[in-house]
Amino acid sequence: MSVVSTSVATAGGEIISSRRSAGVWKQVAKRLRGDALGMASLVVVLAFVLLSLFVALGWVASGWSVESAVPYAPPDFLGPDTSPALKIEQPTGPMLDLSSVDPLAPHYADIDKRAKELATAAKPKLLTLPFGADRSGRDVLLKAIKGSEVSIFVGLAAAVVATALGTFLGALAGFFGGIVGDVLEWFYNVFTAVPGILLIFAFAAVLGRGIGTVVVILGLTGWTSVYRLLRAEYIKHSTREYVLAAQAIGTSRATRMFVHILPNVSHVILVQMSLNVVFFIKAEVILSFLGLGVPIDSVSWGTMLNEAQAELILGKWWQLVAATVFMAVFVTAFSVLTDALRDALDPKLR
Amino acid sequence: MVPTLIGVVLLVFFLFHFFGGDPAVIIAGQGANAKQVALIQQQLGLDKPWWVQLWIFVKEVVTLNWGRSWATNEEVSHIFATRLPATLTIMVPLTLLQVLLALPLGLGVAYVRGSLTDRAVMITTTVALSISFLVYVIIGQWLFGFELGWFPVQGWSQNTGYNLIRYAPLPVFLAVCVSLAPQTRLYRTFFLDEIGHDYVRTARAKGVSEKSVMLKHVLRNAMIPILTDLGTGLPSIFIGAFLLEVFFSIPGLGREVLLAVNRSDYPVIQAFTVYLAVLTMVVNLLTDIGYKLVDPRVVLK
Amino acid sequence: MTTLLSIADLRVSFKVGKEQPFEAVKGISFDVPVNGTLALVGESGSGKSVTAMSILRLLPVTAAISGSILYQGSNLLDASSERMRELRGRDISVIFQEPMSSLNPVFTVGDQIAEVIRLHEHLSRRKAWQRAIELLEEVGLPEPKQRVSSYPHQLSGGQQQRVMIAMAIACKPKLLIADEPTTALDVTIQKQILDLLARLRESHQMSMLFITHDLAVVGDIADQVVVMEKGEIREQGPVQAVFHAAKHPYTQALLSCRPRLDVRPRRLPVVADYMQGRILDANAPQRTPRVDGEIVLEVRHLGKRFELKDGLFSHSYFDAVKDVSFNLKRGRTLGLVGESGSGKTTVGLTLMRLHKASAGEVLLKTESGPKDLLKLSEHDMTALRRRIQIVFQNPYASLNPRFTVAQILTEPMRIHNIGGNERERLELTAAMLERVGLSPGALWKYPHEFSGGQRQRIAIARCLTMRPEILICDESVSALDVSVQAQVLNLLLDLQDEFGLSYLFISHDLAVVRYISDEVMVMNGGSIVEVADSDTIYRDPQNPYTKRLLESIPKGLQGLAIPAVA
Repeated sequence: MSVVSTSVATAGGEIISSRRSAGVWKQVAKRLRGDALGMASLVVVLAFVLLSLFVALGWVASGWSVESAVPYAPPDFLGPDTSPALKIEQPTGPMLDLSSVDPLAPHYADIDKRAKELATAAKPKLLTLPFGADRSGRDVLLKAIKGSEVSIFVGLAAAVVATALGTFLGALAGFFGGIVGDVLEWFYNVFTAVPGILLIFAFAAVLGRGIGTVVVILGLTGWTSVYRLLRAEYIKHSTREYVLAAQAIGTSRATRMFVHILPNVSHVILVQMSLNVVFFIKAEVILSFLGLGVPIDSVSWGTMLNEAQAELILGKWWQLVAATVFMAVFVTAFSVLTDALRDALDPKLR
Repeated sequence: MVPTLIGVVLLVFFLFHFFGGDPAVIIAGQGANAKQVALIQQQLGLDKPWWVQLWIFVKEVVTLNWGRSWATNEEVSHIFATRLPATLTIMVPLTLLQVLLALPLGLGVAYVRGSLTDRAVMITTTVALSISFLVYVIIGQWLFGFELGWFPVQGWSQNTGYNLIRYAPLPVFLAVCVSLAPQTRLYRTFFLDEIGHDYVRTARAKGVSEKSVMLKHVLRNAMIPILTDLGTGLPSIFIGAFLLEVFFSIPGLGREVLLAVNRSDYPVIQAFTVYLAVLTMVVNLLTDIGYKLVDPRVVLK
Repeated sequence: MTTLLSIADLRVSFKVGKEQPFEAVKGISFDVPVNGTLALVGESGSGKSVTAMSILRLLPVTAAISGSILYQGSNLLDASSERMRELRGRDISVIFQEPMSSLNPVFTVGDQIAEVIRLHEHLSRRKAWQRAIELLEEVGLPEPKQRVSSYPHQLSGGQQQRVMIAMAIACKPKLLIADEPTTALDVTIQKQILDLLARLRESHQMSMLFITHDLAVVGDIADQVVVMEKGEIREQGPVQAVFHAAKHPYTQALLSCRPRLDVRPRRLPVVADYMQGRILDANAPQRTPRVDGEIVLEVRHLGKRFELKDGLFSHSYFDAVKDVSFNLKRGRTLGLVGESGSGKTTVGLTLMRLHKASAGEVLLKTESGPKDLLKLSEHDMTALRRRIQIVFQNPYASLNPRFTVAQILTEPMRIHNIGGNERERLELTAAMLERVGLSPGALWKYPHEFSGGQRQRIAIARCLTMRPEILICDESVSALDVSVQAQVLNLLLDLQDEFGLSYLFISHDLAVVRYISDEVMVMNGGSIVEVADSDTIYRDPQNPYTKRLLESIPKGLQGLAIPAVA
């Protein structure tokens, strides 16, 4: 026998994998590495995701709800608010002596003594914060960071749910056709007949607020676009000759659907999932803005924008800017990454 | 169309029946005792088995009799009828402007594909898309309404004409600004797809000028995916319209639904969901007919 | 002056991303004669199409062209865009390979023809429309007055090509460039279009630059020929001179490796033979068809009906296969020939249960007697699948792009429990690859790293891993270049001798079928119209359809001697 059989026989598994030539994903990674803009956006996205992870573990921004500053404290670079409106005029003149009519008068000495024993050091409220404070004196920067954890988590989780659901149903509909396809098409038509926002509202009305609920709502309403695409892809691939060949050698239907065809449509799934992430983040922001998203004890870019609406008229712009900038940077980076991924997947892989 | 409608009815019923809170409890309000709740349940027919309730629901849908809002006691059908005009006053100009502006923009960008202009436009639109719609409205309202005072920040009147001139411009303008970016990108993709087809090479081989290739050959063929997008996108125009109504206090369908959601006003939400599903299906039908005008290969069943 | 267009030192390269530009044409020169036909011949990748497209500068923007194309005294490559637009459609026109996609689907045929007329001749709409009808009549489109307002999708492939031709000759061009205009058409239609082109060329006194890969066509219609390979010219000159006394080994190879109707060598010569100067015996005994043998597969009254839903309640149906019966003998090849839509591919797919048959029996000989494949359960069928396998037409679609060759080849072995463990299986596949002429190092590569011919070999190897008895070749060589085709056909013949395989060879190409088959069945409209051994069917066809098919085959290569040595 020839050289190869020797290497196969002697080295078994090791040699096999190390001699494998560049598959699809290796080539994609190589092309991506050559795309400067794509790599930059990848770094930004990873930074955000890492940040969110730290927030979730409690290492960062755990004190976001602490009211550490005066209300509407300006950002550090602006300096403390010295406008006269915050100063309250102290009345001048001697204090009246009401001890003759005051029922508590004899006890004041006692109360003062007790108060001194139990005195807690009240932390003085800060006059400025790195990027300002909101109406309750909470740090805007910490809120934005915490908000990114919420929004990114919701975006990713909902995208995974919607994509998984859409892929599975699309595969079934595209591969089998017939009755199964018709039933799923009917299902799809029902879900798309109701305008998306209305469906989300209806689900929200019924299921209430909460991060988990938002993920469920967005996932259950967002599967339709993935379904449409995957169904078309599966219809296209099911009649391709490599699938017929797989049938000819005797593979089962499940094998054909998920071992043969799925890897060939994985790039479509990936791109669609990325698009969904962006869409779901924006949707979550809107839902939270309207009070249908995160619970009251949590913060999201959406709740920040809600507060910012009233603040703008008062001339307090920092919460609006913080939420907008954080969101814009992440979403732009993610969109650019998606475009770069699309380009890297493009040549000769369709 | 009919099977889909049946599906929507079933979806709405099961969603609200099995996952929603007990309507009797909601109506009775806080501080009601068990006897009061039981009484309301009886009145609403909630003590009957679910298939009877489903039948009642179906009857309501068919006869368009939805009862009254739990919050305001206004007849639901009346609510729908009076709020629809306001939504349309925003929606129709919005849709028209969107398409009419995105077409030349998309065409223009496709014409200069690969050039610096193309790239600059793509980058701008990417960044523009990453900013939430909310931010545009907040800043827009503040800038044009509050600071510059060109438009009223909120408000509506009984006169449609007056609405169009005074109250509609700001919300429509902001919505068009926001949607221009994604629409232009989408249309650009359609045009670029068509340019890659063989018939474009044939046209060039005949001596057709590049301008004519774009405006005559490509545009005509691109109308097919554009029409598809318009048809499928029409229901989602509702999204923008709804949010605008909330921001600008326009008494339209969207604002009404949001109020209903916050008040758990089930009859209103259910009715609107079904009504709008029907509207969507009618629009789809019209789109299919529109197809026939644009694509000679289509055979209507 | 006998030269219309003169090409000198033409170079075309394409920029592909950040890598080195790809040189498609590497400095070629030839002249297109006035009032004559020059054929540009080559296989895929030869650069023939790129050369023709650069005349009218119809290449994508990533192309860099240098050299000179002299027409009427000036270099077309230096001409302004306006000048080019003037020339296009008026002095020089083009017809393309795929008429369906080359015509604009949303405009009527009349509009599209009128467009080119109005662009160059400034006629009114009505006059242009009239002229369009006249042109349609000239190109032989039936019912031109009605057809002029139809849309492209309402016409057949041949009719669409006639429309393209009408558009091209509308302004009486001096040069017509025809880029593989008949490759996508059935052979009977091909003959009609070729005759039409020759007639028009004569009556309009045009020159024609005809691009093709088919040398037989060249022999029929061209005066001059230019043979290209990999972007360079290998040989050029008058057709008769080149055909009878080819100087370059590549040309000799191209001329010989195509199966011919009049001779049937034991083995087809391939390009490598000529390039390496091997001596071929011109007097070697020919292969003769063998019609004896034990029957391994018996097909009785096979039928396949496709149901078309016409809306909610009405059904129409279409019989792709009607009452087809035949016997396949051990170690023999049964050819199935027909044009597109004849149902031949459906027969193959239905036999394999890749389509569900509507009627009939497929009896496979087993130890426990003949079994009807169509009536077996899925489970029983899977066990028998290893005995009949199929090689598909499209080498680019029949291998899973995401699997390595090793995965592709070991999968069937795993399903049918061949080879005890993974290592044994890999050894077997390595051996199989060598058997089909590929190095075992191919195991670790992906399909996209191979050429079309190599992929077909991998597909054949995949079938062989199961040691089948019967192999269905469904247009298995139709998508391959002529020289590669010869290699794969030789391979198939060798494998048949070694393993005793029976072949059902399905193709539209009569020359190939005649070469490889012992018996030939002709199919038309779902039914078999004639069956005979492969000598008789060509010498003495009985059925009128068979006769028409045979007449349509280009005869340009008839009577050529096969050069014995390079």
